[in-house]
Parts: sequence; structure tokens; C-alpha cells
Amino acid sequence: MTNSKSLILITGRSLMQGVSMEAEGKFSERYLKAAALIELNPKDIEEIGIKDRCKVTSDFGSVVLAVRRSEEVPPGVAFIPMGLWASAVVDYETESTGMPNLKGITIKVEPTDEEITKLQDVLKIFGFEKFDYKPQDRSVKTGERRVVENVICTFCGDLCDYLTIELDGELITRNRGGCPISVAKFLNYHKHRILKPLVRGENGKFVETSYDEAISKAAEILAKAKYPLLYGWSSTSCEVIDLGVFLAELVGGVVDNTAVICHGPTALGAQEVGTARATLGIIKHFADLVIFWGSNAAHAHPNHFARWVLSEGKHRKGRKERRVVVVDVRKTGTARQADLFIQVQPGRDYELVTALRMAIKDLEIEAPEVAGVPREQILELADMMRSAKYGVMFIGMGVTMTGAKFRTIEEVIKMAHDLNDWTRFVVIPMRGHYNVTGANEVKLWNTAYPYAVQYSDGFPRMITGLTSTTDVLIHGEVDAALIIASDPVAHLPRKAVEHLAKIPLIVIDPKWSLTAAVADVVIPTTMVGIETDGTAYRMDGVPLHTKKLVDPPDGVLSDREVLERLINKVMELKGWS
Amino acid sequence: MEILIKNGYVFDPLNDINGDVMDIGVKDGRIVDPSEIDPSKAKVIDAKGKTVMAGAIDVHSHIAGPKVATGRLIKPEDHYLTNIPNRLPYRRAQTGVAVPNVFKIGYAYAEMGYTTVAEAATPPLKTRHTHEELNAIPIIDKMAFVLVDSNWIALDLIQEGDLEKLCAYYAWLLKATKCYALKLVDPGSDVAWVYGKPSLDLDNYVPGYNLTPRDIIETTGKASETLNLPHQIHVHCNRLGYPGNCVTTVKTLDLSNKFALRDRPSLHITHVQFTGYLGDSWADLRSGGEEIAKSLNKNRYATIDLGQVIPGFAAVTMTADAPFEYVLYHITRGKWSFADVEAETAAGIVPYRYRKKNYVNTIQWVIGLEITLLAEDLWRVYITTDHPNAGPFTGYPKIFSWLVSAKAREEIMKEMSSKALKRSALPAIDKELTLYDLAILTRASPAKLLGLEKEKGHLGIGAQADIAIYDIDPTKVDLSRDYEVVVRAFRKAAYTIKDGEIVVKDGEVVKTVYGTTYYVNPQIPEDLEREIESVVKEKFVSYYSVALDNFIIRREELKKSKEITVKAKLGG
Repeated sequence: MTNSKSLILITGRSLMQGVSMEAEGKFSERYLKAAALIELNPKDIEEIGIKDRCKVTSDFGSVVLAVRRSEEVPPGVAFIPMGLWASAVVDYETESTGMPNLKGITIKVEPTDEEITKLQDVLKIFGFEKFDYKPQDRSVKTGERRVVENVICTFCGDLCDYLTIELDGELITRNRGGCPISVAKFLNYHKHRILKPLVRGENGKFVETSYDEAISKAAEILAKAKYPLLYGWSSTSCEVIDLGVFLAELVGGVVDNTAVICHGPTALGAQEVGTARATLGIIKHFADLVIFWGSNAAHAHPNHFARWVLSEGKHRKGRKERRVVVVDVRKTGTARQADLFIQVQPGRDYELVTALRMAIKDLEIEAPEVAGVPREQILELADMMRSAKYGVMFIGMGVTMTGAKFRTIEEVIKMAHDLNDWTRFVVIPMRGHYNVTGANEVKLWNTAYPYAVQYSDGFPRMITGLTSTTDVLIHGEVDAALIIASDPVAHLPRKAVEHLAKIPLIVIDPKWSLTAAVADVVIPTTMVGIETDGTAYRMDGVPLHTKKLVDPPDGVLSDREVLERLINKVMELKGWS
Repeated sequence: MEILIKNGYVFDPLNDINGDVMDIGVKDGRIVDPSEIDPSKAKVIDAKGKTVMAGAIDVHSHIAGPKVATGRLIKPEDHYLTNIPNRLPYRRAQTGVAVPNVFKIGYAYAEMGYTTVAEAATPPLKTRHTHEELNAIPIIDKMAFVLVDSNWIALDLIQEGDLEKLCAYYAWLLKATKCYALKLVDPGSDVAWVYGKPSLDLDNYVPGYNLTPRDIIETTGKASETLNLPHQIHVHCNRLGYPGNCVTTVKTLDLSNKFALRDRPSLHITHVQFTGYLGDSWADLRSGGEEIAKSLNKNRYATIDLGQVIPGFAAVTMTADAPFEYVLYHITRGKWSFADVEAETAAGIVPYRYRKKNYVNTIQWVIGLEITLLAEDLWRVYITTDHPNAGPFTGYPKIFSWLVSAKAREEIMKEMSSKALKRSALPAIDKELTLYDLAILTRASPAKLLGLEKEKGHLGIGAQADIAIYDIDPTKVDLSRDYEVVVRAFRKAAYTIKDGEIVVKDGEVVKTVYGTTYYVNPQIPEDLEREIESVVKEKFVSYYSVALDNFIIRREELKKSKEITVKAKLGG
């Protein structure tokens, strides 16, 4: 019996997607296996009649993916890890928030005999005809063994700063303390590198060139553009992002970072109502109630649970003195560690938070069920929250990406404000990239806004929907793009990425991102936290200075040096020297 | 560049100069004898008919760090319509009034002739953030005061009663965070806040400790004096924001005598307006200005800054006094931010508007003015608005006008609450300050307060060439009658010179330079240093969520820095 069925799609991080992208890069078989995949409930698999693959179609695109059976997704819901294949089918509409609908999209799933869509084919669908990929491993001299303590990891917003890295010369041989994604990143830092500046040749293949040439070309593109986009920033240091904002101001362009498709709505919510925060050590010492809402820490922040929930603090002797609640649409790995799991229907978190706020204030909830959650569970959770001595809610993309988006965040923060009348309660966003928080801080001090800033009138303006990356790409408003320390081709919705194919594209990155493979100018740089030092901010705002462990590859400049040169060149072109 | 400033009316209280016509020479960033300058080669500024003073110094302002950043985040409306476009490549875009971006901060201070500003409070664990922002602020010299009153390691050591170890810890902390002085905010109350308990008065016990805020202030004061720090302990009194809190402030002022170990001021009370309330409710709030002025006159080891209210502005209150902000949030029911910092402190932010016709806001407004006009010793009073708590720093010229002109006060009082004014002493005060007095309040004595009077706050030979020239002819302007001239002239300096570079001309920034971050290195005996390092190492593991070596800020992280070394009075 074969059928097609309509399902609600959720996209997000997965451990293997993270490990494979850090270990072998996005062009590898391993990444294809990890990201060209859809998780379906066995009941749906049976009903649709699929075996090991299926065709997924939405209003925005169609791809063929491998199928994995999972009890984690309820019937009617599907999960695709974030990546190129997810980007092919997600909704681009931001509703003027800058945040596209990356969760909660309706898809049609049907059986198929077609091959799983290859990476290159998806890129072609997006409009990238020219695609070139020339990875090289940097040389690593060996011989001298040493151990470096308290190394700061540069993957996610937990910024674990207790890693012990063992080296044999320039080869990293061991990473103790890091999670699997961290281990993958450090042990493979020397692989799949871009080691020489590249410009796109006539035949669509890259030609090696000098830094001077590449930077000149990039500077010309930016200086001549009417409205360039400078996007990414979240995986490099604050010193670099500071220069980036200056560059954006010089060229009168848009400067934006990955928060626009991540915790941007959290910032928008804060703009409306304020915040309720604490540093992570407070959680360790005081938290007796830990709620994960729309956050799958087990896959996206793998050390988080051990560091803050299992650990002992001044007043909490570890897991047994804390209660854990998970609110999510799927019963994730994180949910399986909870004392109470609340399964909410996709896109309806706003209703659930409202009901919870009402319950906390002893207002009567008339409906027997809200957003798929029985009233009794809501009252139970409200009671746990009010009677906690110190509660924390870690929020993730489940709350920012769907439904009421930033309005849900407003309610969550207001709920925390309400709870502080009874007890202590905070809300901490689970920041993704290791320095996305820093990228927002740098923008705040330079422009007074956290992200999505444009300078075309000679002063900063933030109006999501108009100045946010997703929107300026979807509406084809920018005429050039500089992408640094991020991979928008992999993670922005198809319609936004299609515009990147039409404009001059400059990429600054140490490794082969998908965006680098389709760029016009590629400028290699060193890796922050391994080959170059630099400041980054943890998800709770604690700033740390990452270390340099090894010398950069021969001839490769740091992000900082490249940006300084770019700025000088742009100033020259504009007659401002 | 060499500069010769000719024919200006110079006001330099540290050198007893009161309006003399003098030339000032500038060479290599320092003030030199004008005879050393060759006018044919130098830039000559004709300051005829103008007032010349040293660059002004703000001893308490919130300009950098995590709560300033959060303030910007939650008040985008402060930025929508307050933009000043860039003038590339030498001047970046500016925005904001209460929570401006770094360029507005540096440029607006410079436009007013201010060349040194102290960031009032920074939490140790996030001080790297404070320094990143200070690095980014153009023109002004800067420093930061580090929060210590709710610090677990400090409280352990205060409780242990070992003054030497406490001194050693504070010395270690100042070096590790590259800060300039020790800051106490509603001492001990952030410990209470994290536990969900109300804030503390001077003699309440800090939860979990056998200590009171009085103990914390006295012991920290003693430590600061023993360490020989250039600026004494900087204290935001307990009970801030509560009617009747004047009592606590006067008790706190009295403490200054207990640890005046160096026969110089030992205690600085900040934004005293917020802790100068008589009455027992908002309805019968009255100004404690006279009480505080009396106490200040009596306690010659104490200094205070005003926290003067600027009515009619949309301010943003931001402070490490988290429990107070909880109360203010419940009064305003608008936006609220708070952040707890492990083992150290907390912060709160609540936007607030001071209304001219509002009874309470009018009482608040009179307090700072009463204190200044009633103080016998202007050398122990400093003009601040605790920016942006009581008003934006760009409101300083307005404050100057209220101090030099009774008429200016009368004019604005017409718009304020008459009921409040009837209950205040201010309307009957007709004292008017002079330009010399303003120079004391904003240059000479702030330099002394910070222990930097050798090179700042004056125009003597050898001083840093931080100079402000204003369009006021003291022989022609009647300050009392023409107070609008005062406001205009001090808001937009004719010239501001920073380290010998002209950065402002005719009220506009013409050059972006970067100033210096000052921090203190108190030198203690080596064995004590080693001992405290092992104490800190051990406590870090259990108290903090970061590794000790990642907590410490290295000098290279400061864009431009100056270390002030002092020798502690410790050991053999």
C-alpha cells in the first residue's frame, strides 16, 4: 500500500550532523548520511509504505532523502537535520522578523525509487552552476609532545574552557573534556582547509592567487556595490567582528550575523520586555528546577547537561537535587533525561506559555487541553516552577523558529518576571555558534542594535524584515555579499540562497563551507582558538579569550589581518586614505 | 603637533589660577611653558574672550560593560530618532541618548570638553566585556571600578577576619581585572538577591554569613587604605531608592572616620541623591539635602557625587543594585532586565522617566542642587548624573547653569511641582557658583579624587595636554542672567584637545583618537602574593564556572593602557 502523507517538518541540529561536518566536512559521504536524512515515526513509515528512502516535497522544493525510523517523532511529525537538504524544503517567509519558518512546515512525503539527492544536485537546484571544491590538508609538523590545559572550545555557545589538548607538534592528538563535536573539530582542524586565496576562473574552476589580488578583488566588489551584505561572523572572534562592523559602515551595507535565523527572536523579545538572566555558575550552585524548552541540548550542546545539571554546586548536590523538565514536540535525547516530558504541538508554544503564565498566577484555565498538553500537566509544571528555589529555563529554536516567534519569547520572559515575585527564575538562551553572543555584543556597542543593521544612510538602522539577511536576500535587495565564519548556503532557506547565486560572492573561511565552493572570491584564514587567539562570549555573556595552540599554516593570514587589509583597500578605493 | 593657546581666561584651581589671561603651550602631548613653542611652526589658537580649563573628569558614569550592553538591547527606541550620520573616514555614526553607542559616548563627552570618564561598576567575571567596550570608546581616557561587596571570596576573607589576606585578594583582583578602584553597591544585598531575599540595611546580616554591610564597608575601606589605592572605596549606600534612606547614608558617611588611615578622604559615596530621602513614604518624601550637606561638612574624610536628576528625559536606570531594580520594576510595570553573576554580584535595568510636574521627581531634583549649594567644601562634591540613571551625561551643562544662576533654577522651577518645592529648601537658596567653582567641581577635585592630580585636572607644566576651551567671556557674560550661554558653551566646546591633539573644533569632532585605560597595580609582599594565589586557585574551582587562567585579563587585551603602581602598607 503506497500513499503520500502530509507531515509537519521540524529541522534542527543533530549530533552526527555536527560531528560529520567538523570531522570530514560537508562534502563527505558521512555528512550526506547525516544530513540527507529524514526521521519518521514507524506508523507513518508503514502508512506511506516507504522502505529506506522517500521523496519530500514542500511548496518550496523537493528532495529525496534516506529514511530513519524513530520513536522520537510523533506520528504526523518529521525531522530533518539542518543542512542543505533541509534548506531545500523549508519556508523562507520571515513575517518581518528576519526568522524564516525553519520548523512547522507542511511537507508531503511519498515513496520513491530515485537516488538520494546529491549535494551538487541540490546546489544546482539553488542556481549554483559553478561549483568547485579543492580541499587541502595543512601541513602539521610533528615531534614535540605537549599538553595545553584549559583550552577554550570553539564550537558552541557553552564555550567549554577546561579542555586538555594533547599535541604532537602541530598535530592535535587528543581532546579531553570536549564533547564528540569538539573532538571532531580539534582533531581534524588541519583537514579540508583552504590554504590559498582563490578567484573563480572563466571555466568556473578556482584559480589560485595572492592575498593582494583576492583582497583587491573583494574590496572592489564591496566598494562598488550599492548595498552589500556582510554576513556571518558567529564563528570568529570579537576583534574581527569589530572590524567587520567598521567595514560595513564604510561601504554603507548590511551587517548581520547568524542570530537572524537563530536567537534573533530572543533579542526581539528582549527589546519588547527585557530579560531575566544569570551566569551558568549560578545554575550549578542554585538551580533545583531546570527546564529545556525547544532545546535539544543532547545534540546541540552535548556537554551542557553534564556541566550544569549533573554537576554539584554550593547548594545542589547534582542531579538528585534538581528536577528536569523538557518541553518539546519530539521526545528527544534530552527529553529522555527529564523527570517530566511535555509534548507540545508544533507551532503552538505561545498558547502553552500563556496557559502556564495563567496557571502560575492561579487564573483558571477553561480548556482541558492547550496546544496538545493536558491541563493537569500545565498545572503540575506551574506548581514546580512556583515552588522551586531557583528555576532556569533554557530556550532553543523550538521557541524562536515557529508560531508566534518573538512573541513567544516575550511571554517566556514575562513569565520569568512573574515568577520572581515568588522565587528566583531565569531564562537563558542556548546560543549556537561559539561566538554568536559575541557578535551581538560587538554590534550592540558599535551600533546600539544586536544584529540586522544597515548603514546606507550613514547611521545604523535595524528594522527586521527590511534589514535582516533573510529578507534582503529573498527580496533581492543586496548586490554583493561578503560571507565570513558561517555557511549560509547550507542553512538559509532556498529562496534566500538563490539570490546569493546571482550576486558577486566573497567568502572568508579557513575551511570548505558550501558557500566557499560556490563563491567568486575565496580568502582563507586561520582558525580562532587553535591557530589564532581571540575573544568569544559564552551563551550567558561571560567573555573568554581563546588560545593559540599552534602556528598558522604557512602564508595563511588571520581573519583580523584580512579584514584590516580589506578596510585599507576599500578606503583607498573610496578616496579616504 | 605643537599648539599655542593665546590670550584665554584660564581657570585652574589646582594651581590657584582664577580667570587670569594666560598662554598655554602644548608639545608632545604635554603642557609646556609657552615660551618653548615657536608660533611660526605651531598651531596657534586665539582664545581671546574665551574660557580655558583642563579637560573635565567624570568620576561615575555607566558607559561600558554587560549592563550597558543590555540597556542598549532593551531600549531600541533610544536609537530610532537620535542618529548623527558618520563623516567618513574620521567620524563614525552616532546614536542614542540614554544608552548611546560607543561613538556617541566618546564624541559627546569630548564635545563637552570631558577627557576622562570612570566606568562606575563592573562585575569581575564579565570585566573583559567592559574593557572591550572601553577600548572601543574613542577619545576619552577611562577606567573601571570593580564590584566586590557581594563577592564570595571577599566575604569569606572578611568573615575570617584576616585583613592582610583580604588586602592581598583585592590587590589580586584589581590586577586580574585591570580595574582602578573597589566598588560597593548596596553592600551585601546582591547575596540576598540571589537567595530571593530583600535588600539589606547597614546592620542586617548577609544571608549565609556572620557579617553586616557595615562590616563589609569598614573592612573593605581599611583594606583599600592599607593598599594605598589612588581612589578610595566607592560606595552606593544601602537602602537606595527607599523613602527615609537618608538615615542610612548619614550613618555610612560617619563610617569614614573609622578607616581614614592616610589622613585623606577614605570613603566616596556615589549618586547621593538616590540615597538622600527623608520622609517615610513617597507621598511625604522630602529632600535630605541639608542633612547630607551637614554630614559632609562634618565628615572631612568623606566625598560625595551627586547623581543629579535631569527632569524631562527618558532615563534608563541600571545598577548592580538588583533588589532595588526589582522594586522599581514593580512601580513602573514597564521593561525590566536583571542578571545574576555567580559568586560575585548581580545587576538590574529599568527604564524610567523623570517628570517635571511629578512630586517625587521634583524632590529628587532638588537634592543634588541643595547639597552642592550648601556644601562648605566644594572640593569634596562632584557633578554626576550617574548616567544614565538620573539623566544622560549630555545634561551636565544644564546642571552647571542651575548652579551658577538662581534665575535658571527659577525658570525650571516654574515647570516643576510646586507642592514639592514648597517643602524644599532650594527655592530660598540664592547662592550662585562661579566658573572657578565649576572648574573645581569638574576638573580639579575629580583629579584629586582619583589620585591623578599630578597629570590631570590642571594646566600646569607637565600635565597631560587635555584641554577645553569654551566660548564664554567671563568679563562680558553675566552667568546668572545669561545662563543659556553657559548651557550652549559647555555643551559644544570651542576646542577640545586630547593628549595634545585637537579633537573638537566649534563643537564638532574633527579627529578620532583613542585614549588610555588606567588600572592600578597594588604591590604586596611576595609571600602574601603566593599565599593568596593558592587561596584563590582553590576557591575558584568550587565557586566559578570558568578556569582561573581564563578569568584573568592580560594587559595586551587593553587597547592602550597605563598601570598605576602603588605600594601597599603591608608586611615587613
